[in-house]
Amino acid sequence: MTSESVLTVTDMSKSFGVVRALKGVDFELRDGEVHGLIGENGSGKSTLTSIVAGQQRADAGTVHFLGRPWSPASVNEALDGGIGMIVQESGTVPGISVAENLFLGDAGRFVRLGLVDRAAMNREAGRALAAIGIDAIDPRTPAGALDFQTRKLVELARVMMHAPKVVVVDETTTALSQHGRETLYRLVDEQRARGSVIFISHDLEEILAVCDRLTVLRDGEMIRTFEKSEFDEDAIRAAMIGRNLDGHYYRADTTATAFPQVLLRATDVTVGDKVRGVDLVVRAGEIVGIGGLSHCGMHELGQALFGAVRLDAGNVVVNGKRIVNEQRAVRAAMGYVSKDRDTESLSLTASISDNIASAGLRLLGRGRGGLITRRAEERYVAGPMRQLAIKATNDRQVVGTLSGGNKQKVVFGKWIACGSEVLILDCPTRGVDIGVKQAMYRLMVQLKSEGKAIVMVSEEMTELMGMCDRLLIMKDGTVAREFQRGPELTEMEIIQCMI
Amino acid sequence: MHDLTQRTRPGANGTSGPNGTAARRRSPRELVPALAPLLGLVVLTVAFVVVGTVSGVNMSYSVQTLINQSVVIVIIATGAIFIFAMGSFDISLGASTLVAAMVGGLAYNATESLVAMLVACILTAVATSLVSASLAAVFNLPVFVTTVAMLSVLGAVAVALVQTTGGAQIKVDSSFARQYDTLPVKLSVAVAFLALCVFLFTYTRLGRVEKLIGGNPVTARLTGVSMKKTAIAAFAIAGLGVGLGAFLTVLRTPTMTTSSAADIGMNVLVAMVFGGMPISGGPRTRIYAALLGGLSMAVLNQTMTTLLATSSAGNGISQVVRALFFLAVVWVATSGHRSKLLPR
Repeated sequence: MTSESVLTVTDMSKSFGVVRALKGVDFELRDGEVHGLIGENGSGKSTLTSIVAGQQRADAGTVHFLGRPWSPASVNEALDGGIGMIVQESGTVPGISVAENLFLGDAGRFVRLGLVDRAAMNREAGRALAAIGIDAIDPRTPAGALDFQTRKLVELARVMMHAPKVVVVDETTTALSQHGRETLYRLVDEQRARGSVIFISHDLEEILAVCDRLTVLRDGEMIRTFEKSEFDEDAIRAAMIGRNLDGHYYRADTTATAFPQVLLRATDVTVGDKVRGVDLVVRAGEIVGIGGLSHCGMHELGQALFGAVRLDAGNVVVNGKRIVNEQRAVRAAMGYVSKDRDTESLSLTASISDNIASAGLRLLGRGRGGLITRRAEERYVAGPMRQLAIKATNDRQVVGTLSGGNKQKVVFGKWIACGSEVLILDCPTRGVDIGVKQAMYRLMVQLKSEGKAIVMVSEEMTELMGMCDRLLIMKDGTVAREFQRGPELTEMEIIQCMI
Repeated sequence: MHDLTQRTRPGANGTSGPNGTAARRRSPRELVPALAPLLGLVVLTVAFVVVGTVSGVNMSYSVQTLINQSVVIVIIATGAIFIFAMGSFDISLGASTLVAAMVGGLAYNATESLVAMLVACILTAVATSLVSASLAAVFNLPVFVTTVAMLSVLGAVAVALVQTTGGAQIKVDSSFARQYDTLPVKLSVAVAFLALCVFLFTYTRLGRVEKLIGGNPVTARLTGVSMKKTAIAAFAIAGLGVGLGAFLTVLRTPTMTTSSAADIGMNVLVAMVFGGMPISGGPRTRIYAALLGGLSMAVLNQTMTTLLATSSAGNGISQVVRALFFLAVVWVATSGHRSKLLPR
């Protein structure tokens, strides 16, 4: 261990059933540094950091923190000892308040005469939120009533109020809007003064900008650690995936194209004050992007188009059918990929096969009197598994054991297999690595060429510019401006419209 | 589409499955929890045979008792799996069985027709079940809440039904009941109903969407599953099971009071869990859990009865052993799922 090291991991291994998530990994974190951890989905980043942060135990190997053996029995013990983690997926408990989430496992400090002093807890929670620059969240609000981004900020506050020596940020920025990201970057920068940060992200540009060093993991093995002076995008990408990424990342063409047939027509769509009088027409073979700042209404618009929220006014018609709920939407050949993948798009305890087949059960039983056989299901699932190259032992593998990217492929597979003609994709590449991202983008291009219509809601401006034929920027629940795909379109122009 | 198939990992045994991904054998660590309920039943059956043989018990009679003990529970629990698979909970199964049996008894007394009795049992149970499901759908309440309300209502209905006879019980002609209280009748009803349930649960959309709802109701809704229609279908099938169970109950116990079938609700629950049914429902639900659990309970009871027949503390010891065996089987059955999911 060097004198600068705050955390060293030596020869760590961990398996989940038959999946070997870590294979003899060595890792070193220095004091005062922001250390990037990068790798494809399933490379072992979250497993490594979750062990360090007390979520689980390693099968083999040792960890030293501040020169002492480190083996926390729980997340709270790790946090009290100086290591806190903001997890990739939702890390809040939905049924309790923001304040109760912040002091989860630590509510005893507010006990007076055997009763929890909620007023004191709420005051303390308000102070903790304000300390990281968040003053718009009422600590009494149930966490489940908050959107995904706000819940992530609550998690951030929960960790930061303990002033930990080491903060682990696991693929958090993709859930955050620009404002949320700025808050996170500021906190990461401030953390340098009192400790270190392990920063996990699939956004190479972001990780190069934020980190002082970075370590690449691949298939559970440590590949290489890059010093800041050695940062080179191509070398890092090659280390991540073990090969060079070929071809264009986004669409190669720069002109908007679509077939004349209108597949989706939305008129005067209104959902409370979140979405106000939005009109939208999407043609076959067209990718329409919806972007904007957080709380602009873009996610709610995506849900409204799919019938997942009740409209206060207006209507949505797909393939001549009025969409009033999710069942009508699926029957009208629509598919919806939620931003909150684990909670809204997958059954984590079910198999890959169960998940992919779930949207196509009527198809599977058609012509057989409703009979669904295992053989028919295997054939049905085999196509998307092969097409999307889902990394799994077989189609009976439980989805919860897959990495983020492979989970997202399963979600895509579910809608591709049942022949969806209109896809609503809400942040479809959130939490997936560049290899999976590229595969997703190519899939979208292929679907476009097949005449499918895609509505892509995204907080990543480069992604929207790179993939969409038309781009609608939302502000305060309305469409502020529409941009057409073209070589002259600039990010600056779009951002000016957003703000 | 860019071909990324070169990145697909080969399976453990290197063979390729029909979907292009690798097939593999399940490791003992995965297999033992999956087979724990079945292994439990095998162990209990071996113990039952050994204890019975050593004690010189009439095995034919013993097996008959065993089937009598388990058949009603197995039928009702198998139907109830359609409800529990969705993560729902019906606490009124015992009360439904009692009311359906009473109505069936009254129907027989009025018509002296076996068919009328059977139809009355089934219609009453299905109607009762559908009322719970419909109330939950209309008022958007958890099904458990409406079944709690139904439990009270059905208790009152049972009292009212008994009062119609002017006595404290509803009595069906015992010679008629004995005529049909036979193993062939019981086994025919059980096999037919189990076959129907296995078919619906395993080979139709209904069973699949129920497991999906139990696994993640939000995902199910966003995949186009109608929660209300599915719940109503599930309760209808559970009602059919309760109706058949009530029919056999009348044949077995032709004299019914308001306390008859009192322990059915709890026994159904225990049988399902004993058979490996996760109480939260979802993808790990197996339709045969009720059969394994119901039989295991009956075999264990019979074995303990034989073993402790001469002991004054026999019943107490039997209860303790049953509890310990129950804990052991459930612990092993669920052990494979506690540390399997990757952290997210």
